[in-house]
Amino acid sequence: MQAVILAAGEGRRLRPLTKNRPKALIPVANKPIIDYPIKALLECGIRDIIVVAGYRKDHVKRHLNSLDAPIKVVEQKNQLGTGDALRCAAPQIRENFLVLPGDNLIDALSISRIMARQNSVLVKDHPYPSNFGVVMAEGDMVRSIIEKPEHAPSFSVSTGIYHLTPDFLSHLTDNSLTDSINGMLERGGHLGVVMAGEWHDAVYPWDLLALNKKVLRETSPAKSGAIDRTAVIRGPVLLGKGATVGPFTVIYGPAVIGPGAEIGSHCAIGPFVSMGDRSKIDPFTLIRHSLLMEDVQVGSHSRVTEAVIGEGSAFGDHTTVEPGVPLVEIEGTLIRGRFGCIVGDHVRADPLCIFQGAIVGNDVQIRGGKMISGTDACQDGVVVV
Amino acid sequence: MCGVFGYIGGPRAASIVLEGLRKLEYRGYDSFGIAALGKTLHVAKRQGRIPEEGFDIRGLAGNAAIGHTRWATHGVPNDTNAHPHLDCTGKIAVVHNGVIENFAVLKRQLQERGHRFLSDTDTEVIAHLIEEVYEGDLPAAVNAVLPALEGSYAILALAKGDKRIVAARNRSTLVIGIGDDALFAASDMTPILEHTRRMVVLEDGDVATLAPASVCITNGGAPVDREEEIVQWSVEDVRKGGFRHFMLKEIFDQPAVFSEAVRALRNEELPGIIRDAGRVTIVACGTSYHAALVFRYLLEEKCRVPARVEPASEFRYYPPPLEGLVIGISQSGETADTLTALQMAKARACPTLAIVNVVGSSITRLADASLFMNAGPEISVAATKSFVAELAVFLHLVDVLKGGACAYELDSAHLAIEEALLLDLTPAVACCRDATDIFFVGRGPFYPIALEGALKMKETSYIHAEGYAAGELKHGPFALLSPETPVVAICVPGETYGVMASNIREMKARGTPLIVLGQKDDRDMQEISDVFIPLPFAESIAGLLSATVIMQLLAYHTADALGRDIDRPRNLAKSVTVE
Repeated sequence: MQAVILAAGEGRRLRPLTKNRPKALIPVANKPIIDYPIKALLECGIRDIIVVAGYRKDHVKRHLNSLDAPIKVVEQKNQLGTGDALRCAAPQIRENFLVLPGDNLIDALSISRIMARQNSVLVKDHPYPSNFGVVMAEGDMVRSIIEKPEHAPSFSVSTGIYHLTPDFLSHLTDNSLTDSINGMLERGGHLGVVMAGEWHDAVYPWDLLALNKKVLRETSPAKSGAIDRTAVIRGPVLLGKGATVGPFTVIYGPAVIGPGAEIGSHCAIGPFVSMGDRSKIDPFTLIRHSLLMEDVQVGSHSRVTEAVIGEGSAFGDHTTVEPGVPLVEIEGTLIRGRFGCIVGDHVRADPLCIFQGAIVGNDVQIRGGKMISGTDACQDGVVVV
Repeated sequence: MCGVFGYIGGPRAASIVLEGLRKLEYRGYDSFGIAALGKTLHVAKRQGRIPEEGFDIRGLAGNAAIGHTRWATHGVPNDTNAHPHLDCTGKIAVVHNGVIENFAVLKRQLQERGHRFLSDTDTEVIAHLIEEVYEGDLPAAVNAVLPALEGSYAILALAKGDKRIVAARNRSTLVIGIGDDALFAASDMTPILEHTRRMVVLEDGDVATLAPASVCITNGGAPVDREEEIVQWSVEDVRKGGFRHFMLKEIFDQPAVFSEAVRALRNEELPGIIRDAGRVTIVACGTSYHAALVFRYLLEEKCRVPARVEPASEFRYYPPPLEGLVIGISQSGETADTLTALQMAKARACPTLAIVNVVGSSITRLADASLFMNAGPEISVAATKSFVAELAVFLHLVDVLKGGACAYELDSAHLAIEEALLLDLTPAVACCRDATDIFFVGRGPFYPIALEGALKMKETSYIHAEGYAAGELKHGPFALLSPETPVVAICVPGETYGVMASNIREMKARGTPLIVLGQKDDRDMQEISDVFIPLPFAESIAGLLSATVIMQLLAYHTADALGRDIDRPRNLAKSVTVE
């Protein structure tokens, strides 16, 4: 059995986080999302894995090279769609194969289920089916898949994970995989329904907080940093090599703290926090329910909740991040989300800023004492004075 | 400059050696060959690179084999001059990296005694010398021959009737790998890594005898103990991993290389000779020379320590009056000119420091102290990550000498590299690809960056490129400026911004296509330039690194657009172990 992971797409709805990396490389619990489907495949004994890379492909390759498992990479020149992406991998396909999105979480149990049924799709009920391909089925056979319908006729959505035979490649007439599947069904082909167990997708950037939480629940604790003897660590906490925890700091698991991270004294971290490599939290700061990428810095006396903060961003002291429920426009649709802030890479915020339900672009600079909410500062590179 | 690789153990010896030789091709690739020892001795060799497929090794049965990938020094690259070389009887096969300096004399003597030579190489004399003394005991024969050889060598030898490989080293690296049921010997660790991590680095004068299940090392006939190292480099490190070229892979490795180099150095005690240095002389070649020039600017400006930088090839013949610390920089640690320069410094009683990437390389044995770049193996001939790692070492030294004043900048510097990797250079590449000449200009520490940018452009794209201190352009090269000669200029905020900006305007007046690297929001430069590349960071350390990466990517993408053989440019070898 082979597996083709589609990781070429940019994931525009997750901007600003996908400006510098494809969606599949956004870290969740300190590992790029793509690591989770790869791990599930390996657990199911699938060793022949092909990744289709496109947007920021060199970054994808660099990451895959850092993994233990040897993984083939093929390139998709233009991001025309999932069908075209699969076509790029076609020359490598010799036997039955799975197709998986590289930017969703999936568990090994679901993979093993779909492996057992040739020509099938992994399906899951979802409360907001309109964001996905809705599966119209009769019994356990698919009639058709309707991509992102305005009024969904069913709650069953396609996870985008298929078990196909090499014959299918001849049906790959459309740039969209869903359309190619529908074409195959119209021509009398069959596609069975297999129910997924755990499957999660981040449609909007704030969904990453839920994904983070999901993955963090599975944290297996390990401590290899330097922890002050007065620090308290409760629950499952994974502390990376060379990380330091200052005096009187409390860390509530589940939490993942990357190698080289520095947490000052009197901090309260967690629960549900992931902090990337070399991130730095100054004393007297509270962080919870947040996803901090690599090299993020948060100044002292800050309070950060429900934040997603991009690589290399730095907040000054006395920063407050509080959840809000702003109405934001994403790819032309107005949508309400609940989060503290979604911050791009390399953002600088001076002391005493307040973020409430704020989306902040990449390379944004914010002068001291500003209150940022909604899409005030969502343009890349703006300076908020 | 050549690579040797030997294997003894299982039955697929020849194919293992062939695979190993591929990894050594960066040391030279104008011919290759293999000798395998089964019931009898078989040899196959050919001019050119090792083909991806179609090289028939079915005839090479046996559980011991030696191979060679050649970079011609004596005799043109052709099938006959390719190693291995045999004696008159065809019973003894030898591969060799290095130069036998007295080979002409030896060859004449051997010919007088009736030996017939087939090739023009220096290596062939070794086979014939062994032939004269071989009586069924190959290690004894090699030991008997070595005193007659002058020069540098890493030799592997096989003889019909003796189921052993004999390896000998003098001034050319030779590494022994110890596997579970096989033994390896190679010019460096790269071909061995995929088989084992247990390595022994031989020293000058060592002779190692590799039998199927044991290795025995002697020096001057007496057994010696050499310490076994467990090498941490992963096989992944030496793979191309989906990237089309090693050069691009290595460019993308740089953020991690930089922070790893700094992290590793911080865990080490700095050798006292650096703190005590009142005056520093740095010798290096090529890209390392440019890194040294950056160091000079920083050392003199920030630490007020007088420094001079000399190309090692000049230094060895025209050494300046020497005092104070002498630093030699070499990625491979085998660069002949740099090694000699350090030897001369030692002879003049100067303390010596080596800055090197390859652990256990010759330079580390020579210098009083060594600092390691920890960049992992660099395969691309055009050096990229070793340059960034050298800068990391230098910046760390400046930081320590300044009492930690740059620690914060160093901590965040890898982010500047990471951001530079995201830039789209397509317009700049379009501007460069059709040019026949390109100028690279900068001032202060950006001047060596311009030199390095020009060097990368030359060696990968074959476009004639020159680096200049921007103010020097007016003293001659200005005559060459025209609408056909693009200029790549680095113009960052600081003391020289004003003069640099006026230099750039003067160039503009000549109709020169201008590619300017400047601060993100520099409106003036955006307007005046044809292609503006915003530096993610323009401040000192981060600015140097991001400009470096942009220069590397510009050269890479230009070369790629022109369809060049990027990882193995014509006429070049990775490390230059001859003068």
